Amino acid sequence: MALILIALIIGLPWLGALTVLAAGNKNPKWQHGLAVGFSLASGLMALFLIPFTSSRVALDLWLGPSFGSLSFVPDGLAVSLTIIATVIGSLAVIFSVDYMRGEAQLGRYYFLVLFFIGAMAGLVLSGNLLFTFFFWEITALCSYGLISFYNDDPKAVAGGIKALIITQVGGVGLLVGSLLAYANLGSFQISDLLSKANTMPADVLSIIAFCFLIAASAKSAQFPFHTWLPDAMEAPTPISALIHAATMVNAGIYLLARFFPAFESVPGWMEMVMLAGIVSALITAFMALTATDLKRTLAYSTVSQLGYMVYAIGAGGVLASQFHLLSHAVFKALLFLSAGAVIHSVGTRDMTRMGALGRKLPYVRNVFVIGALALIGLPVFNGFWSKELILEVGLEHSPRWAYGLMLLGAALTAFYTFRMTWLVFYGSSRADLHVHPAGLWMKIALGVLAIGTFTTWLLFGGLSGTLAQSLPTHHLEAESTIHMVEMILLAPATWLALSLIAVSLALFWFVGRGFALKESPIWLRELSESSFGFEPVNTFISRGISGLAEQLRFTQNGQMNWNILGIVGALLFVLAVLLWSGV
Amino acid sequence: MSLTPLNIVLFGIVALFGVGFYGLLITRNLIKFVMVLQILIKGVVLALVFAGKLSGNLGLGQSTAATVIVADTIVAVVGLALAVQVRRRFGTLDVPKISTLRG
Repeated sequence: MALILIALIIGLPWLGALTVLAAGNKNPKWQHGLAVGFSLASGLMALFLIPFTSSRVALDLWLGPSFGSLSFVPDGLAVSLTIIATVIGSLAVIFSVDYMRGEAQLGRYYFLVLFFIGAMAGLVLSGNLLFTFFFWEITALCSYGLISFYNDDPKAVAGGIKALIITQVGGVGLLVGSLLAYANLGSFQISDLLSKANTMPADVLSIIAFCFLIAASAKSAQFPFHTWLPDAMEAPTPISALIHAATMVNAGIYLLARFFPAFESVPGWMEMVMLAGIVSALITAFMALTATDLKRTLAYSTVSQLGYMVYAIGAGGVLASQFHLLSHAVFKALLFLSAGAVIHSVGTRDMTRMGALGRKLPYVRNVFVIGALALIGLPVFNGFWSKELILEVGLEHSPRWAYGLMLLGAALTAFYTFRMTWLVFYGSSRADLHVHPAGLWMKIALGVLAIGTFTTWLLFGGLSGTLAQSLPTHHLEAESTIHMVEMILLAPATWLALSLIAVSLALFWFVGRGFALKESPIWLRELSESSFGFEPVNTFISRGISGLAEQLRFTQNGQMNWNILGIVGALLFVLAVLLWSGV
Repeated sequence: MSLTPLNIVLFGIVALFGVGFYGLLITRNLIKFVMVLQILIKGVVLALVFAGKLSGNLGLGQSTAATVIVADTIVAVVGLALAVQVRRRFGTLDVPKISTLRG
């Protein structure tokens, strides 16, 4: 049964992708309908998978010695991420019905979106590292296609190529790590790597651990690869929601959480993970302070919140990180989609030209404010509980300075979120923008997510129960929601964080409002523009690889003789290696 | 190496392979292309039988070889038919010229 459900969860979006293409761009109504139908069906199947959550393998198909077996394991980690990918993905698809109405190439758009959702589900459900890698690459390819969807805009194309190349760096890390694990264990099975990690030589294990850390950082846009995500903002807004909330960036967090038990004993690994999280969370929070592009601000906040999750994993709080991942997926999808509704109605992303839109778009304002309060981490909203849980874990298991920096990050988050909300919806109107009302489909998707922002923290008990029960190597303890609520409300750390947030909000209200529209100080702007000095590094990588590809273009001339030469050359190379290694 | 029957067959395989690959590397004519491909495949067929003999599984090697013969006949037929069509349409069998003509 679980196997059928898994096949449907991955297969339905992929089938939908093909049918949308087959429907053709001349039937946009069909395309919208098919995409919504298939993605919703996949989300429904993912929800049906909950009762079948277990650490048992659902499928074990032996594919021969070089591939191992194709296996799928519906454990708690996999199922929760599958639900996030498919359900929030389908809400983004529903939103697209209004947002993408009238676009010429809907077939390509929906094909990539559905292919993306299916691949993400496959990535987290796969029990075989090699197939995890395949799905990982598919998500990279789809994200490239979607970021560059407006392919007549050079900025969109450049952003897509940058995302592709930087996440490829991560893909290479994952591949090298997987092959090393295979060379030492003789198996690609994730369960083997988790249970037999201690039998490997210590230096090999630490190379694998750091390769996987590079993979996760590149995929989740963590320091030092944090520059591709803001550039990915050229994508249509539902795609930004999909990449930031439902799919792509969660893959890195998933990888760290999944292999945490294997790597936690590697010296220096936890510290590096924690450091990557802290640095990303802080510097992107600073960058969000000065950004004037609405989507860019949200992108920086995503990197910052992902930094919190990475920090939590570094502090040993896998459960806290997964809980925040769930909350973040819901409220960030809400924020992105409502930002999309704003951008769709006024036709600009520049916050300095918006202002006082709240009166013209009351519904969008209300849901955006709900999402913003969750991002700030104010009580009752899901972001509050999960962020406080992370800070709680951080207080117990990380150095004091790290905890202090994360508290500072929370205060900065409150400041920039408030600034963003105020610039868009409140204050005075600064430009005469023509406003369309938001469409019905948009409102449905936003409404569901707004309800989710209020309620998903109630799922904590269920999440921790399934994670604890189905991940035996992680040694997690099941906690009930009530216990979590009690613990957080009684902890002095919570009140410290809340008072810092209050101070930050007061600071914005009395001082920051005057500055919000002024030019930010030159040193801060320069630091933000160069991503704290790491923009050149990332640009160097992406330019270097593009340049190399350009140099090698002459080898791809389609001449048959030339290709034969390649085949013969490769054959001779393999023979030489075999002779040299004495097989 | 002494000239045992097995070695003669081995030389045959290497020679057919070499001629085939060399032909594929240098030829520009579509019909010659099909011909050298056939030579290459004959080397493969011989190698299959040879491998069957060496592994003591002669029947398997021979039956695989028979299957390959059937398949490569089809390759030859389709390839030559394509060559005829290409010649009719473009007036040349020169591969680089065909690929630059387009359409």
